[in-house]
Amino acid sequence: MSHGTAPRVSEARPLAGSSVRRHDGDAYVSGRIGYTDDLSLPGTAHVVLVRSDVPHARITVDVRDASTRPGVLTVATGRSLAGEYGPIPNAMDPVPTGGQPLEIHVLPVDKVVYVGQPVAAVVAESLAQALAAAADVKVHYEPLPHVMDPEAALAADAPLLYESWGSNVMLSGTVGSGDVEAAAARSAGVIHGTLRTGRGAPAPLEPRAYCADWDARTRRLTWYGTTQAPHPLRHTIAEFLGLRERDVRVVAPPVGGSFGFKNFGHPEEYLVCVLAVALARPVQWTEDRASTLRYGARDSRLAYTASYDDDGRVTSVACDMVANHGAASATGAFGMAFAGSLAMPSGYQVPDFRCDYRVVVTNKGPWSPLRPFGKEAGVLLMETVMDAVARRTGLDPLEVRRRNWVKADQFPYVTTTGLELDSGDYEGLLDKALTVLDYAAFREEQARARGQGRYLGLGVGFEVLPEGADIPGALIGASDISTVRMSPSGDVTVLTGVTSPGNGNDTAIMQIVADRLGVAMDSVSIVQGDTDICPFGFGNVSSRGILTGGGSAALAADDVAAKLRQVAASMLHVDDAERLVLRDGFVSVDGDLEQALPIAVVAHALYTVGYIVAPDVEPTLESTRTFRMRNIRHHADDDGKIMPFSTFSNGIYLSVVEVDIDTGVVDILRHVMVHDCGVMINPRFVTGQFTGGVVNGIGAALTEEVLHDPDGRQLSTGFKTFLLPRASDVPAFEIQHQVTPSPFTPLGTKGAGEGGVACTMASLLNAVNDALSPLGASITELPAVPHRVLAAIGGGQR
Amino acid sequence: MIAQPFVYHAPTSVAEAIEILAENPGTSRVIGGGTWVVPECNRDESRPAALVDLRRAGLSGIDVVDGVVCVGATATYSAVMSSPDVARHLPLLAAMASGITGGRQIQSQGTVGGSVVAARPSSDAPAAVAALDATLVVAGPDGERRVTGTGMFADASTSCLREGEILTRLEFTVRPAARWGYYKLKRSASSWPIATAACVLGEQPRLVLGGVSATPVHVDLGSVLAGRPLTPDTIEEAVRRAADSVSTPWEDELAPATYRSAVAGPVARRALEMAAHQEES
Amino acid sequence: MSTTEHDHSTTTRLSLNLDGTDRTADVDPRSLLVEALRDDFGVTAPKIGCATGDCGACTSRVDGQITKTCLRLAVSAEGSQIVTTQGLAEDGELDVVQQAFWDEQAFQCGFCLSGMIFAASELLAENPDPSEQDIRWAISGNLCRCTGYEAIVAAVRTAAARQREIPQRG
Ligand SMILES: Cc1cc2nc3c(=O)[nH]c(=O)nc-3n(C[C@@H](O)[C@@H](O)[C@H](O)COP(=O)(O)OP(=O)(O)OC[C@H]3O[C@@H](n4cnc5c(N)ncnc54)[C@H](O)[C@@H]3O)c2cc1C
Ligand code: FES
Ligand code: FES
Repeated sequence: MSHGTAPRVSEARPLAGSSVRRHDGDAYVSGRIGYTDDLSLPGTAHVVLVRSDVPHARITVDVRDASTRPGVLTVATGRSLAGEYGPIPNAMDPVPTGGQPLEIHVLPVDKVVYVGQPVAAVVAESLAQALAAAADVKVHYEPLPHVMDPEAALAADAPLLYESWGSNVMLSGTVGSGDVEAAAARSAGVIHGTLRTGRGAPAPLEPRAYCADWDARTRRLTWYGTTQAPHPLRHTIAEFLGLRERDVRVVAPPVGGSFGFKNFGHPEEYLVCVLAVALARPVQWTEDRASTLRYGARDSRLAYTASYDDDGRVTSVACDMVANHGAASATGAFGMAFAGSLAMPSGYQVPDFRCDYRVVVTNKGPWSPLRPFGKEAGVLLMETVMDAVARRTGLDPLEVRRRNWVKADQFPYVTTTGLELDSGDYEGLLDKALTVLDYAAFREEQARARGQGRYLGLGVGFEVLPEGADIPGALIGASDISTVRMSPSGDVTVLTGVTSPGNGNDTAIMQIVADRLGVAMDSVSIVQGDTDICPFGFGNVSSRGILTGGGSAALAADDVAAKLRQVAASMLHVDDAERLVLRDGFVSVDGDLEQALPIAVVAHALYTVGYIVAPDVEPTLESTRTFRMRNIRHHADDDGKIMPFSTFSNGIYLSVVEVDIDTGVVDILRHVMVHDCGVMINPRFVTGQFTGGVVNGIGAALTEEVLHDPDGRQLSTGFKTFLLPRASDVPAFEIQHQVTPSPFTPLGTKGAGEGGVACTMASLLNAVNDALSPLGASITELPAVPHRVLAAIGGGQR
Repeated sequence: MIAQPFVYHAPTSVAEAIEILAENPGTSRVIGGGTWVVPECNRDESRPAALVDLRRAGLSGIDVVDGVVCVGATATYSAVMSSPDVARHLPLLAAMASGITGGRQIQSQGTVGGSVVAARPSSDAPAAVAALDATLVVAGPDGERRVTGTGMFADASTSCLREGEILTRLEFTVRPAARWGYYKLKRSASSWPIATAACVLGEQPRLVLGGVSATPVHVDLGSVLAGRPLTPDTIEEAVRRAADSVSTPWEDELAPATYRSAVAGPVARRALEMAAHQEES
Repeated sequence: MSTTEHDHSTTTRLSLNLDGTDRTADVDPRSLLVEALRDDFGVTAPKIGCATGDCGACTSRVDGQITKTCLRLAVSAEGSQIVTTQGLAEDGELDVVQQAFWDEQAFQCGFCLSGMIFAASELLAENPDPSEQDIRWAISGNLCRCTGYEAIVAAVRTAAARQREIPQRG
């Protein structure tokens, strides 16, 4: 036993902050992960939906012929189900905030409100039989006038989608404080403008798929499907079917991307249940691509007035937002308008601010939740205003932002919409970005290029993303529950209420737990997405997997660790259990591996010889804990404001583009991204969230738009008409991170799932406009598709 | 899953294929590579009772016979890209093929012949084969016929093929090496071509625009380029003629008619400038 | 399998060599190849993301060619040799591209992996040292909605570098 070289455990927790690989990556790359549509329960019947050909009509559906076709088990319509089943539960209800009541049925009872809306469900032994029979369902349409444009839908004589509302406004409201008109009157200058965003779509690569299985003997329903929120869905399915919650089991296999789309509230989630109960066998439905693309987002018009002083400070912003929701839905998507308005002041000090928003229904497909949940509206608005102020005052756009930002020493900072920004260093972000991109050199290059007839532009986008939401009255909360258990052999199982849309949060939670228990990654396993096994949780929404799932797992792991220390203290005859260190698979005294026991030995001892080695210790190596964000406030303050978000990650992007002024095509030459989402458990996973968000943002800014013809038919029904960016469309990104921990989370983390989309939209919009500025042209509508850019320039002339 | 039942045929000769088509008048579809027709059936937009797959009909070869390059109707884009004969005599065709999107999967399944018969305005092959002065060799119940020039395409999505006929090959007369250019404008990698320009500047210079009209537009070059060098002036004149030649611009969800007319000139210019660069080097 | 009459209820027998094993199944003659692979042969590595040839999620190697199996009729594949990502691993060892995709975290939800992995393999078979641009073009037939492609490009680069090393070690 030599002195000074006694073996010791590692200095720090080895896994925290390291980019370990996905724990189950080998199964993914070898095609062995089972998604919902990969399951096949014996005896499954298949559903094909018959869809509306018209945008607005009263319907009668004749299913007699279809019902007699070979293999057909049943054909359901809204009418045939209406006697037994009411409307589906809403993920969020607009009524408490002054909105209209939503009554979405699994199938519409007497009226269709968009082309592609399901009107009947054909269930048959095989998919082929269901498809063949679907052609024989006869739908009689009594057409009603339709309206696609929200401004037209606001007109007094507009056709009404939901007559009982008396108008087409689902919800309207105002956020902000101060007197914007007075502030504008006092200011040096005023800017008016309008911004429009086209209709986007979540378009995960995997369409939705649901399978319900009713066991008539036990009267229990098991539901498998593409969902982000198993527990909330179980609650609503039970409510809808009139079952006890415990008689519903929701299982969420791995999903092929969600982005908000696979949160709960879709009629088909409940439809498969109804059919399974009726037929007492498994019933499965898988969506096709065209139908997936019927769910949209954005499609908004922002009319704004902003005022500023000569020193470039923005003194007020007033915004009137009209959001085209399409048909109503129960997914809570309308909340995007509210969230977007709340987030609107971004990270700027805007003394007087007001946003009036109206969520308008039209005869398009419904809105779907879509990351970053409406917050891109505010980002686009504020980044447009900053550039406009720069043009008016002659200041540099970067300088204008510096002057308006909340400063690093001002946190926590309460915005004019009542959000308490947790922490940040926005100037630090910009400084970092400028170490990557030489701003002065770019301006020179730009001038040179202009001399050669080339139009380069640089645009800034800055975002602050309220995440980790807790919505009063809804099953969307800023808390989650995790259980950590250790078996007699030292194996660790984590059960958690958060789910993973594929972002790797399962692996990251395992990292957190492995570190706290001092064991290797491969001693830990995790179970997500099964309501019979996992504790209650809200799934994955609003970037909360690590905040609350990781937070609660850390608390539970700490409990188990404390227990192990207690037992080991007794086994190693140490008085102070605090001296025991759990690391590298051992419980050691002060990290000295010569006074240590393997963790598995300690666990085994507690279970088998507990009366001897630790008679006073309760023999459980298991803990269930909840982590709840503590900076949420639901009691309204004097202005009626609440604080429904818990973290505020932020970022700045600099985009360099070249606009081909003969064709209007925009080419992205550089995209510099600096992000701050607090402490990163697994930096590579975090980076992946941002690069994914950036490409979503590029799509929204340049290529993706769902279009309809005047007859209400959707023209964008596939990937040749709704153009997702491909690898060859985007440059290599230049990525930097800044870490400003959240003071409100145990690990210092912030949300990281919504980043990149909004600031990319803004940086590209501004970059295109910078490129076009010598032509006196600008665009105010995204996506900046070539014909829009060319029209802004005024045709094809050189 | 294709909703409507059909009978699948994989004939092993042209004669057999023609016979099957004759037995199913008006209710059959031919499959070349199938990249267009299979999804069309799957979307229930086409409901053929018989599908006649040419994969075994022996039409996939590329040969040079008596000074004519014969590209079999089911030769894929990949086959075109890797053929030394095409590289030597029809570099424009190879360039067109190498720009087909959809990845190697589409390039090695989609066929030039299928694209020509599909005759979709937003596609690459029609204007390119027109610029190369192809002859379509068509077999039908009454034997073989040959179609050239503007006769190849009747309307949007309608080629010169009649009911019961199949395209067997495309023929290109070997001509002295000439400068050529090809430019395709699309919105992004996911997009169909919006406008294309293909030019071959031999003894009889040809400039054909694709995507901008229901069928390929043969730009009337008069004597602008015939036997004359490509100079900024002659290019300018050709571009002007190209822009003027789009009388009824095509329109779809990817681009309005005004846009297509506006870009016809610039796209033509880029193809011509590509040819001009070849002259320099 | 050329001219047999089919109606709603009949199936047809399809024989394939699938991931190295000779297999036979009864398939609905209206099935796309991807549907037959998934539903009748139970090989679910190829996914259906669009059924129009655009996303690449259904990609497998069919008779040596990487193929979007939603663009092929199942009946046209009689006698074909088909390899899916399930069959790429030899004796449970991931191949060099699969390994690099795991190591570089080149996927999130993983739904796009069949297309991306096969496109990468095809590229590396032809070009052992591809440029960034080569890589981006080679994978551009496939869509990924999650990753932003950055990590996929990195994985292909890593796979290329590792593949170049193998013969030297040899
Ligand atoms: C992802 C993707 C990307 C694509 N990218 C491009 C692109 O960049 N540019 C482009 O131009 N196109 C593109 N396409 C379209 C592509 O389908 C065509 O270009 C392809 O060449 C069609 O050939 P095919 O043999 O597959 O046609 P098929 O689907 O076999 O046939 C097309 C039509 O022609 C008929 N037909 C085929 N062969 C014959 C014959 N010999 N005789 C009689 N009739 C026949 C068929 O009945 C059908 O009506 C793309 C398609 C996909 C799915
Ligand atoms: S499913 Fe085949 S390419 Fe999308
Ligand atoms: S990882 Fe989800 S689509 Fe690529």
